[in-house]
Order: sequence, then structure tokens, then C-alpha cells
Amino acid sequence: MDILSILDWLQRTSLAVQIRDSLFTFPLLESAHVIGLALVFGTITIVDLRLLGVASTHRSFQRLAADTLKWTWVAFALTALTGSLMFITNATVYFHNAYFRAKVVLLLLSAINVAVFELTVGRTVQRWDQAPSAPRLGRAIAAVSLLIWVAVIVTGRMIGFTTTRASLAEPTPVETNFEDLLGLPASGQAPPTQQSK
Amino acid sequence: MQNADHSRSGTSRQFCILHFAFCIQAAGSLSSLPAPVVRQFALWLSTTPPSVFIQEHNSWAIPAIQSIHIVGIALVMGSVLLINLRILGWAWADETLRQTTSRFGPWLTGSLWLLLATGILMVIGEPVRELVTFSFWLKMALVAVGAMVAAIFQRTLQRHERRWEDTLVHRRSIKALAILTFLIWACIIVLGRLIAYDHVWGSWSPSAGQ
Repeated sequence: MDILSILDWLQRTSLAVQIRDSLFTFPLLESAHVIGLALVFGTITIVDLRLLGVASTHRSFQRLAADTLKWTWVAFALTALTGSLMFITNATVYFHNAYFRAKVVLLLLSAINVAVFELTVGRTVQRWDQAPSAPRLGRAIAAVSLLIWVAVIVTGRMIGFTTTRASLAEPTPVETNFEDLLGLPASGQAPPTQQSK
Repeated sequence: MQNADHSRSGTSRQFCILHFAFCIQAAGSLSSLPAPVVRQFALWLSTTPPSVFIQEHNSWAIPAIQSIHIVGIALVMGSVLLINLRILGWAWADETLRQTTSRFGPWLTGSLWLLLATGILMVIGEPVRELVTFSFWLKMALVAVGAMVAAIFQRTLQRHERRWEDTLVHRRSIKALAILTFLIWACIIVLGRLIAYDHVWGSWSPSAGQ
């Protein structure tokens, strides 16, 4: 089974179909994705700025990292989950999108970056734990980390500008909207379909 | 944001004129609009030189501004998260509340200014798309609440530092308020994203029926 047939199967699963055909699910997934990535980048920045000696310089690095990074992982789980759910709605389209591919490569690079940190500077943390900044390599890794994550944000945003949402989607049921969820009386004005905005 | 973004890649002056004609045509059937003044302002804004400049360079300008905006959001969320975790006692517990807020407060304030600047640029670049939505105005209302809570918190902490450190920070109501504040910022993010999907609000959206 090649990758494309797997992706094709993915976007035909009932989960993918449900997300595609719902008016609310995709926007809400996107929103949760932004909340997650904001927390991922926000907390990673705290750690990277500590390594660079820019902020929290008086604090033990280990203590700061322990306090912060567990929330990074919680947020990353949210971001990965919502990202995957968005991906399956149109898997073959995203797979061919250059920005999507660049983003995946960048995420792999950031994983390698973390691994390099753990295998080098991370091993000698006892020696510089209280120092205002990490050794030179640690500072370089922190700077690379910040650059990679900004690039992840940019490529992520570009995916939205370069893909057409849900080419397989059913037309949006025009009479479904927020008011129906609240049980409010219909206004008589049909909202525009997703294609018009 | 999918088709919405996609459709913007066309020439912008043309887009602008089209938009104008479209809105004039729609105006007749929009007597129920909550704020025709806003729409008129947005249309006027879209003809001003800075707006035309962003529209003419939208292929890189809009994603660039949005990306900087997201970086700002991340810095706000990181700062709000850590201050609130400190109040809850789940992080930075070895530091005083004052130490934690003096670490994150300035980053929070600075990032909010960055968000204001990039937000204004986004409104200038796409006035109708931003201003003629329900999501945008609800978001602005919540931003006002969020910013006010942050400002009041920083001020009372300065004035009543001892009381905050000794008793207030341990209070249940304050901890609940910390969670609520975090949720307000999360809602602001959701509403920001929903600007691109304003039709989910049905007739609450000023662009309904177009």
C-alpha cells in the first residue's frame, strides 16, 4: 500500500467526512490548534530565553525547565491532535502542499535540535544550571530553536493560504449555524456558504 | 482559513472596486445591519493609501503580518499561562508572586502592543473582512476585558504586595479568577480565528444574507 492510497483512505474515513461536512468543526479545530501552538511557542520561548541569558537568568535552569516543559508537552499534544484532524480532512492535498512539507521537515529539525541539546549541553547541566546563560552550544541551540518555531508558524499560516479547503466536502448546509445550536428562531436570512468568505 | 485566503491572491485594486460595487449593491437589502457606519468606514479605509499598499502586496504582506501576530499571541499566552500557574501554585512556586509577574508582566505588556500594531495593520489591509464581522467586535470586547484584568492585577499587586503574597494568592476566588482569565485569552484566540468564518454566527454576522 503506497502513501497516497493510505492518505486517500484517511480522507474517506467517517471521521474525516464528519469534520469536512460540519460548519463548526474545522474552524474550532483551527482555533484549538492556534491555542495549542501559542502555548507551545510561548513556553519554549521561556526556556530558550533562559538558555540565551535574556530572561529568568537568576533561576536554576533545571527548575525552570521542569516547571515549563511539562506544559509544553500538554500543549503539543493538543496541537498535534488538532493538526492531525485537520490533515485527514484533505490529506492528499496537504501531502502535496510545499508549505506543509516544509513544516514537517522543520518539526523534524526541531526534534533533532532537542536531541542534540540532550546529548551535549544537557549532559553537563549541573555545571551551568545556576549560570545566567548556557554554554555557547546551548545558546546556539536555543537560537536555532526560536528560528525553527517562527518558521513553523510562518509555514503553518502559509498552508492556509495555499490550499483550498476540503475539495471533497459536501456543500455546507446553509440553514445550519450558531443560532440553530442555541435553539434560536431562524432569522430567515441564509448565511453564505463557506466558499463565499 | 482556506478558501478565504485563497481568494485573496487576486489583484487587489480590482478586488477593492469589486468589493465596493458589491457592497453598494448589497446596501439596499441590508437595512437590518447593526452598524452600516462601520461598513462605510471599512469601505473608506480600504481606499486609503496604506490599505491599498497592503492590498497590492497581499501575497506576502498579509501572511507576514498574521505570522507576527501569532508570535505575539504565543508570547501573551506563555506569559499569561505562567503568571496564572504561579497564582495556582503549579509553577514558579519557589518565587514570590512579585518576582514572577516582574519576569512576565513586561513581556505580556510588550506583546500586547505588538498585537495591537499588527492587528491595526490587518484591519487596514482588509478592512471589510475584519470590521464587518460579529467575531471581530466580540473579540475586541474580550480584549478590553482581558487587558483591563491584567492592568488592574499589576496595579493592585504593586499597591498591596504583602497582602497578595500572604493571603490573596491562596484564596479560592483568586485562583478561579486566574483560570477565568486564561479562558478569556483562549476565547480571544477562537474569536480571532472565527473572523474568517463569521458566517457561523448566522444572522448575528453583519455579512449575513450576502
